[in-house]
Amino acid sequence: MTSAETCARASGISNASLELRHSFTLRKFVIRHSAVLLLSSFFALADTPLPTLPPEQRTNGKQTLSAVSPLKPLTLDCTARIESVLGRPICTATIVGADGYVLTKASEVPDLDKARVRFADDRTAALREVHREARLDLVLAQAVGITGLPAVSLGASKPLTLGQWLCSTTDAGKEPRIGIVSAARRAIPGTGAALGIRMDEKTPKEVKGVRIIGIASESPAEIAGLQENDVLLNIAGEAVAQYRRVHELVNKRQPGEVIEVRYLRKDKEETCRVRLASRTKVLQNWEGEDFANGGISLRSDNFPEVLQHDIPLYPSDMGGPVTTLEGKVVGLNIARVDRVTTFALPVEAFWTEAQQWIKADRHPPKAVLVK
Amino acid sequence: MQTRPSFRLILISILLAGQVRGEEQRPRAPKAPQTDLATLRRIQTDVQKLLPQVRPALVAIQTGGGTASGVIISADGLLLTAAHVPGDPGKDMRVILEDGSVTTAKSLGLDKTTDAALAQLKQREKPWPFVKLSREVIKAQPGEWCFALGHPGGFDKSRGPVLRVGKIIKQTANSLHTDCVLMGGDSGGPLFNFTGEVIGIHSQIWENRDQNVHVSMAPFLRSWEAMQKSQVIKIWGVGAGGYLGVATVMSDDVELEVADVIDDSPAQKAGVRAGDVILSVNDDAMTDQQQFTATVRSKAAGDTLKIKLRSGGKERELAVKLAQKPQEDSE
Repeated sequence: MTSAETCARASGISNASLELRHSFTLRKFVIRHSAVLLLSSFFALADTPLPTLPPEQRTNGKQTLSAVSPLKPLTLDCTARIESVLGRPICTATIVGADGYVLTKASEVPDLDKARVRFADDRTAALREVHREARLDLVLAQAVGITGLPAVSLGASKPLTLGQWLCSTTDAGKEPRIGIVSAARRAIPGTGAALGIRMDEKTPKEVKGVRIIGIASESPAEIAGLQENDVLLNIAGEAVAQYRRVHELVNKRQPGEVIEVRYLRKDKEETCRVRLASRTKVLQNWEGEDFANGGISLRSDNFPEVLQHDIPLYPSDMGGPVTTLEGKVVGLNIARVDRVTTFALPVEAFWTEAQQWIKADRHPPKAVLVK
Repeated sequence: MQTRPSFRLILISILLAGQVRGEEQRPRAPKAPQTDLATLRRIQTDVQKLLPQVRPALVAIQTGGGTASGVIISADGLLLTAAHVPGDPGKDMRVILEDGSVTTAKSLGLDKTTDAALAQLKQREKPWPFVKLSREVIKAQPGEWCFALGHPGGFDKSRGPVLRVGKIIKQTANSLHTDCVLMGGDSGGPLFNFTGEVIGIHSQIWENRDQNVHVSMAPFLRSWEAMQKSQVIKIWGVGAGGYLGVATVMSDDVELEVADVIDDSPAQKAGVRAGDVILSVNDDAMTDQQQFTATVRSKAAGDTLKIKLRSGGKERELAVKLAQKPQEDSE
């Protein structure tokens, strides 16, 4: 009848932010309100069919986006796609030097040797890592053997005000998207990395290890295939028997890092590789509360300063540029956080440093540095 | 703020009038102009001009069940929020203002069928910052720009309230759908038009990012007095006439066809089936859905309708006694 019935899930939106014990309330509301929506759709049907705004006229529909089409040379053209050697999109890069220098989100590409870059003109190239800065979650790389690229034109992010339009790119830099500065610029503290498990030291048959008694929705542990009642034996090369130690070993690492986990399942020892994520988001989405978020970044916190905007993007769009309506780059998308939030590193937070990395790389001559 | 007794009827007629106007405008819709940068800049200027006026009226609400938002709509501290936030009348709620100061409110009445609720800040003597609500529900039409405020994820002093700018996608009898993206914690927060009036209260989301549902001002205005008296409304459409229990569509042959029959409704008990074509009601020929709805709604519960149907090529006539719409049993 309406889009309502075709949707997989609906949710009331008074959520429990950090304390997730309340998710029952939320679920109850889901059930009650899907009924309400059906009910009102019945009445809508009994009246005349009501007009719905066609997708192309919506805020990020084609007709609205035609406003920013003049910005293409300053936005889409200065964006490249980082993909796996098999062509799977990983993240987005911002071109910062005509001679092949690009910046992207470091935690998305722990190993640049296994990735390549594809430019708007469809040229591809291998990537040479120049500098990795965990503090900013940025990596500077150079596309090998590429010249004549359109580099971004930089502006200042300081004068940005709440409600100011911003423009960015989605789908590996193929399409523009717009949104606004949606909240105050600020620092985002970090809480370390997490697996997304609840643990108990009581193990069956006195096995020396830590038993998993709960797994968070869409968490690193769930994605890696860990299950309840698996007994963790070894984390990143260290034998574990206390849940505190598991927490310590995991928490001190960077979100995005991959660790090896050895565990016991039904008396059989197995090993898996787990890609860690920011603890804050794992905790906040324990029961899938932020279910309709379109995917979030593994690292979504621990930034010295961010701009927050409401441009509808995906984790693979991170690393791309954020511009004003004048086409000046004011930030670089650094984390897809939840359904309503994307963080961008303001230009001032990285550009001075990035220029130094490029300068140091250009002199001495590259021949010395090429692997 | 008092609602006139005959308001429900007025509301229905406004809705119908609006639909007629919508029909007239439809031929022009495909010619919607390409948006230009000047339009976007104008939207930005308007939002930024309104923000300092409307932002102080936004509040964060904390209940035992989680965190949500709300908006103050009178100097003595009357608050609009979503019904699933307090859940019941008489509930104490912790309220946080923009500057971080904390106060308390008590929930008044709520409309559980549409998710509309009223609450009252306990310190009534204080002149609270407030915004007006829009009484012209019908003006919130698809394509209009709007903006949303709220505390997604809960109150965060360093972040402040979160703004979203978007467009109205759809208006239904009790709700607005927009592409202002919402999430947990936004519930009860305000959706504004470009005169800075509240046109919606954030209520629920569906999977896609442009599926964000707000309670429109219609249920607030319709049930204002009941909600002020801390009553709970569990029946949709009291005063909208008797309850028949069928959903209709216009068939390919441009006939009024029964799309669905609600279980245990008077229509089902009388033998109306999906696929039947409705020919007449009380000897008046039925040609469209609007006429049919108006005819049914003009009768009260207890009245009997004579409905002429065609099912499977055969015409038949039924007598259906209209009922009160049943209460939701999910509580």
